[in-house]
Amino acid sequence: MLKIFQFIMDWSEVWALLIPISVLLIKKQPASLKLVVFYIWAALIINLGIDLIWKFRSMLPAAYNSNNFLYNLHSVIRFYLFCAFFIQLNQAFLVTIKKIIPICFTVFIIINFTFYENFFDYWKLSSRLLSTEAIFLLFYVIQYYLFKIKENVTTKITNSNFWIITGLGIFVALNFFIFLSYNELTAHFQNFAISLWNLHNISYVIFNLFIAKGFYESGKQ
Amino acid sequence: MNQENNKITLMLMVGIAAMLMLFISLLLIFIFMQRKKLQYRLNLQALQSAQKNKLIEAAVRSEEIERHRIAEELHDEVGAILGASSLHFYGINIDDCDDISKEMYQKGKSLLDEGIHKIRGISHNLHSSILQELGLKEAISHFCGKISHNSIVKIDLNLTDKHSTKVSQKSISIYRTIQELIHNITKHAKANQIHIQSQHVNNNLVFTILHNGNGLTQAQFEELRFIKDGLGLKNIQNRMILLKADLLFSHHANHYSIEIKIPVE
Repeated sequence: MLKIFQFIMDWSEVWALLIPISVLLIKKQPASLKLVVFYIWAALIINLGIDLIWKFRSMLPAAYNSNNFLYNLHSVIRFYLFCAFFIQLNQAFLVTIKKIIPICFTVFIIINFTFYENFFDYWKLSSRLLSTEAIFLLFYVIQYYLFKIKENVTTKITNSNFWIITGLGIFVALNFFIFLSYNELTAHFQNFAISLWNLHNISYVIFNLFIAKGFYESGKQ
Repeated sequence: MNQENNKITLMLMVGIAAMLMLFISLLLIFIFMQRKKLQYRLNLQALQSAQKNKLIEAAVRSEEIERHRIAEELHDEVGAILGASSLHFYGINIDDCDDISKEMYQKGKSLLDEGIHKIRGISHNLHSSILQELGLKEAISHFCGKISHNSIVKIDLNLTDKHSTKVSQKSISIYRTIQELIHNITKHAKANQIHIQSQHVNNNLVFTILHNGNGLTQAQFEELRFIKDGLGLKNIQNRMILLKADLLFSHHANHYSIEIKIPVE
């Protein structure tokens, strides 16, 4: 039973994405959610690569049987797409900071992977990259809520943006400390790290459920 | 060492839980604030709607009071003076007058009679005593009887007997609406056949007016409501709001239809 559960969890990064994709196939999405749609498809391809490389690592040549760089790539793509998504919401709140953050992130990537880490590191994903991405996205999520609280206009609370951003917020809030400590955990507490990664996978499923709800709501509007 | 490991894992779990709790707290605050704003807006809308209804009610009521006052003054003052004038006129002996004077006397008498008749008509139109005394069904029947003329416009009635004879502001508004609609149908739609029916359906009093003139569709009614000259239609709309009634104009194959659905107790 535990093996079945573990098998399901191992592939959750792939099948979780099928949940919003199933809604995409039924309902056409508005232009405002184009970036999220693009993220879903990109994430599916990347996560499929991650899981296939992991499962078939014994068959692949040594130089190509590490999937860690794909986690880094996923993190970068997720950050830029959601960053653009938040900026295109055109909320008149902390506009300059919201536009500066992607520049800072880009500078961070260049410096970090030039001097400190290897983007294509064989042995580990970049905890620093994932946790930085998580904290920046958490900032975007929190500023969205703060703006909505301050805003005088009353619209339907649970619109499609709300669902997607809430899902993202739950995902990054839950995973920030996991990402921050993951490299250390894999080095010293490997079993615990594996268990903790299941928590990441569960939160990813929840994230995709919220995205699917967001897609479904936008079809109604 | 084991204790150290446990401490680290505990701290990590606490960190994750704390982060999640903080986020959920923010989310709950957000949802609470939004619901409060929505409730405030709904309350404000309800207040504005109630205020608007009160204003409409006041306008309609003052219109009725003014109609009643004018009708009374026309009947009691102008009508009385004309009546007295007529009596004096009838008392004149014209046997010794010349033909021109006799002709002018006849003309004057006929104009006076016509004036008295018109004053009486205007007074009744402004304030129907039949509505007060006999109720809505009789008032509508009487009004249609006055308008109806076999060679110009024929009006058929099929009104339910369940109309309350107790006169209320509702009855007056319904009567005025029917009056206005019939006036419009005869004057603008130029119909020569009108059928009015009423029935009780599921706690609603439904009036249906069918005519063969050139009537309005719902879209045309909505448009005309906002035109400056469409005062009659605006009055109808105000009375609909007051009655909390629905008004529907429609066009069928060979006739136009107006349906008024009024909720009743």
